[in-house]
Amino acid sequence: MEEEVEKAVFAYLRKKGFRLTEIALQEEQTRLSSDASSLSRSESDAAKYYDGYGKLRSWAYNSLDSYRHELLRVLYPVFIHCFMDLVAQGHMQEARTFFQTFREDHEMMHLRDLQKLEGILSPSHLEEMELARLWRQNKVKIRLCQYSYELLVQYLHKTQSLAMLGVINEHINFEVYPGQPASMSDDSEAVFLIGTSQDLAREINQKELHWGLLEDSVEERMEKTLSESDKTEVDGNKEADTEDNNKKKTDGNKHSTAVNNKKKKDKVVGATGKTIRSESSMVSVPPRVKPELTLPQFPPEVEQSILEDLRNRVQLNSLALPSVSFYTFLNTHNGLNCSTISHDGSLVAGGFSDSSVKIWDMAKIGQPGRASNPQGENGSMQGMHSLASDEAKRPYSLLQGHSGPVYSVSFSPFADFLLSSSSDNTIRLWSTRLNANLVSYKGHNFPVWDAQFSPMGHYFATASHDRTARLWSVERIQPLRVMAGHLSDVDCVQWHPNCNYIATGSSDKTVRLWDVQTGNCARLFIGHRSMVLSLAISPDGRFMASGDEDGTIMLWDLSTGRSVSPIIGHSSCVWTLAFSCEGTLLASGSADCMVKLWDITSSMKALKTDDSKSGPASRLRLLKALPTKSTPVYTLRFSRRNLLFAAGALSAGS
Amino acid sequence: MSIVPKETIEVIAQSIGIPNLSPDVALALAPDVEYRLREITQEAIKCMRHSKRTVLTADDVDSALNLRNIEPIYGFASSDPLKFKRAIGHKDLFYLDDREVDFKEVIDAPLPKAPLDTAVVTHWLAIEGVQPAIPENPPIEAIVAPPDGKKMDHGKDDSLPIDLKLPIKHVLSRELQMYFDKIGELILGRADTPLFKDALLSLAKDSGLHPLVPYFSYFIADEVSRNLNNLPILFALMRVVKSLLSNPHIHIEPYLHQMMPSIITCLVAKRVGHQISDNHWAIRDFASKIVASICRRYGHVYHNLQSRLTKTLIHAFLDPSKALTQHYGAIQGLSALGPSVVRLLILPNLETYMQLLDPEMQLDKQKNELKRKEAWRVYGSLLLAGGSCLYDRLRLFPGLLSPPDILPWKTNKKIALTNLPNNKRKASSRLTAHQPPTKKLAVDPTGTNSQFPSTDGPATSSSSGSNPNHHHSHNSSNNNSSSTGNITNANANINNVSGSGAHGQRVAVSNVLRQAWKEDLDAGHLLSSLHGLFGEGIFSFIQPAEMHCFI
Repeated sequence: MEEEVEKAVFAYLRKKGFRLTEIALQEEQTRLSSDASSLSRSESDAAKYYDGYGKLRSWAYNSLDSYRHELLRVLYPVFIHCFMDLVAQGHMQEARTFFQTFREDHEMMHLRDLQKLEGILSPSHLEEMELARLWRQNKVKIRLCQYSYELLVQYLHKTQSLAMLGVINEHINFEVYPGQPASMSDDSEAVFLIGTSQDLAREINQKELHWGLLEDSVEERMEKTLSESDKTEVDGNKEADTEDNNKKKTDGNKHSTAVNNKKKKDKVVGATGKTIRSESSMVSVPPRVKPELTLPQFPPEVEQSILEDLRNRVQLNSLALPSVSFYTFLNTHNGLNCSTISHDGSLVAGGFSDSSVKIWDMAKIGQPGRASNPQGENGSMQGMHSLASDEAKRPYSLLQGHSGPVYSVSFSPFADFLLSSSSDNTIRLWSTRLNANLVSYKGHNFPVWDAQFSPMGHYFATASHDRTARLWSVERIQPLRVMAGHLSDVDCVQWHPNCNYIATGSSDKTVRLWDVQTGNCARLFIGHRSMVLSLAISPDGRFMASGDEDGTIMLWDLSTGRSVSPIIGHSSCVWTLAFSCEGTLLASGSADCMVKLWDITSSMKALKTDDSKSGPASRLRLLKALPTKSTPVYTLRFSRRNLLFAAGALSAGS
Repeated sequence: MSIVPKETIEVIAQSIGIPNLSPDVALALAPDVEYRLREITQEAIKCMRHSKRTVLTADDVDSALNLRNIEPIYGFASSDPLKFKRAIGHKDLFYLDDREVDFKEVIDAPLPKAPLDTAVVTHWLAIEGVQPAIPENPPIEAIVAPPDGKKMDHGKDDSLPIDLKLPIKHVLSRELQMYFDKIGELILGRADTPLFKDALLSLAKDSGLHPLVPYFSYFIADEVSRNLNNLPILFALMRVVKSLLSNPHIHIEPYLHQMMPSIITCLVAKRVGHQISDNHWAIRDFASKIVASICRRYGHVYHNLQSRLTKTLIHAFLDPSKALTQHYGAIQGLSALGPSVVRLLILPNLETYMQLLDPEMQLDKQKNELKRKEAWRVYGSLLLAGGSCLYDRLRLFPGLLSPPDILPWKTNKKIALTNLPNNKRKASSRLTAHQPPTKKLAVDPTGTNSQFPSTDGPATSSSSGSNPNHHHSHNSSNNNSSSTGNITNANANINNVSGSGAHGQRVAVSNVLRQAWKEDLDAGHLLSSLHGLFGEGIFSFIQPAEMHCFI
């Protein structure tokens, strides 16, 4: 019937002499028919992916026990690329079924990625979505042992599944190593790095890192004054710390004096007994480094107070646990986003979602008769407050200036300044003496998630949704450095105690360490399975702890870039981490309403004893879990005297 | 294909004024809508995390939209969760119940209370690693032992809460004062509300109430003496005592001497509550239980606690000038202390006491119905005390009982059979029913019922027995009345039976059991004497198997 019509049409066109129309019609016909054939071909393509992957999967699951876990690692990238191929070819329906069918296999390891990729529904999304683009543009590197690799190749050849072969060839780089398959527990390799190849990470992590403490710090000077009397012990102790790394040569003489100082200090605090002395002699004394930034000098009275604190410091270890003072925010109506506590615990600040920042002076809260003499001894403050009479009624000072939720607040080392960062893309500097805004720093283009003062003051670092971390000094309104490299939001930032590095944690599940002088990435730590929420660096500058959204806490050795194996420390987000002043304890606070104390010294020792890579990684040891009454823990801070301050908002109705 | 169906797209298109969206467009839009939704959700979750929350709110979504430079959706910034309703006739269609609000209504409504201002309070979460038991910290039970915390015990006991040394000048925090006032108010005014139950629970569970204990003990002593004829308040006070005693965080021993008099008052006072209308028996029973639990828990700490208590009670019991209600309380108190106390203190005096009590129970000798009722109450409690003592003795040798090789006496076997399915409760209901005939055979069943209209105390608990049951047991006891009517006769019978039973058994059992058998004989004597005093009501305390041995 149709052919007849066609013939009639052609005959009509020829009769009328419409040659061009005739050719156009013929062309269109041929294109239509080829389209139909291509459609059927691509449909069989989709089936090929489905069958091919299904077969590969069942083969991998049925493979030899000792090689299975290696072969299973291949499945995940193949799965992702099959899915993306299907999407790219426009088989939405097939892609969906494919994804749903095999999704469970990978849910345990890669749930969050799967949730993101699930949303991809058209080829344009592939282009748009960061994660998908990273997958497409980079090859995945998988380490396989010789035999596993042979097994895989044999299988692919035997079954002639070209679709799988294509995917594997195109997107996976195999790194074949001789010998037996690696042990199952070594799963840091199994977590795939996307975007930056593992080589890059290794390369970065081979850079030299001066993780030691600052020379000529107040602590050091105190120790020096104590040790001035006997310098004779120096020679005997010079060889004591053999396990130290190459930095020893660069500042060897300083180092040995430090050892001496340390010993001297131990004598001073001899009341706490032998255990501490033996422990501290095992922990190597950190080397001293020169500051790369010009750092401010502390005024003498401040130095005096630090010395006073150091003298009164309580020694903490696994047997002597700290006292914890908890600041509970009441009636926050779910509005408290962040909090911070000054070093001496006298000031507590909270950042709220209604754009306000509030500071409580704990010293005044306890005092009766506050109403009659509201602002204490400081004359300038009284002057300020006579202007606004209703402010005197409040037990706190209210700082208003931001135009969006405040996501972080941070006190300067002596609590005379406060930094706040907000979703209005700005960071503001407040004076706690004047209760007034001093500077607004604009530079980030998106909400600023975190801002932290440096341990010496004057400088601060910020982290933002715009995927950069920035370094600022309080006296300039432009950033000094922009640290770019993270593949997603930079969620938290923390200073190294020697002020030469800053650490950042990101939604791309990595932690990076940046050199503040060059702005380059100095270390890249891979291992978290979800967004990194909190960071802390030990006071000796050697270790870093990071906590993530799932409650995992990881401890990293900064000099080698390796991790103590992760622990599921909490059942929910780890909002905050803090090291005690000697670095013997780690405190973690979480959304599961717990403060937990972890023993660091034992894991450090373990790190030293089995330095070979194959050794079983030690774990953090839980010393104490302190539950709160339905109060998630937002902030933890060890005072210089080793009192632990914690803060959180009481969440009613939980 | 997409989780957003194309119908949804069409509905949305209609709602924004595009009436005829072609299905192809809807189909193409659906996946993109899903993608955008996911994108926004992902950003919203980031905002949620940075607000240190674990619950996503409308504000987070607004912030996420802000991040993407999209105008936020207005009108959803409510703190309480949105309530979606299911559209009628559609399975998967939900809508927000968006009520129309009258402006006038809003304007006329009184201003809502201003929300409380944010405040910071501070407390010690831990002192040198140990959590103090203060109200700000969760109860100790909530702490699970750390999985690898075993290495911790270097001479340090973390599981015990430390005792806070109270300052000499005792300052009570305002919260505790408010708590105390509230509890006092609840006790005196609203003891029947569910709130009071919560309060009791709080008293029994919360840590950090210790500073209030002296106040509570004073309060209780004061209020008990003042409210002796207000039964609900007394009851509330006793329940508070019980809660305080059960609180594991309170160190109550130093205050026991203040509390005990109040409890004993509730137990043996002459008049508690309104004599006729109130069920003062219940509070005596309750007080007796509290006393017994105190003795059990602190008896080993204060050696003279129990002896002083029993002295007080036995004085009340043996003084004929005291009222029957006081006797009842004393008997209850003693029997709650355990069978051995009953055996040592009550049973020796039982016979003489029964002679005293007997006339009080008889219809012709005691005309005052209230008095007579009280007498029956006392009788019931004595029976229970003696019976449980007997039960306890008999329980000591359960293995002894081989089936008896002699046939029990016929009529008594029938009793045994009627007793077989008995549990205590049923037995006691039967007992109250058949007691009158043994004493006064002329009383008819209906008369029995009317005579005990309010016997709902736990001692006799006859009210729980249903009426048919009542009649049945009454009948059975009537059948047996010929054998049980004469007390001395029955007594002799029982003695005979137990003697012959012992004889028969002795043939059967081995020598090893001889010692146990001696005990059995003791118990047999006990039984016989009790039977002499109580009639066959006492049989209900003997397990059926053992029954065979004695009958």
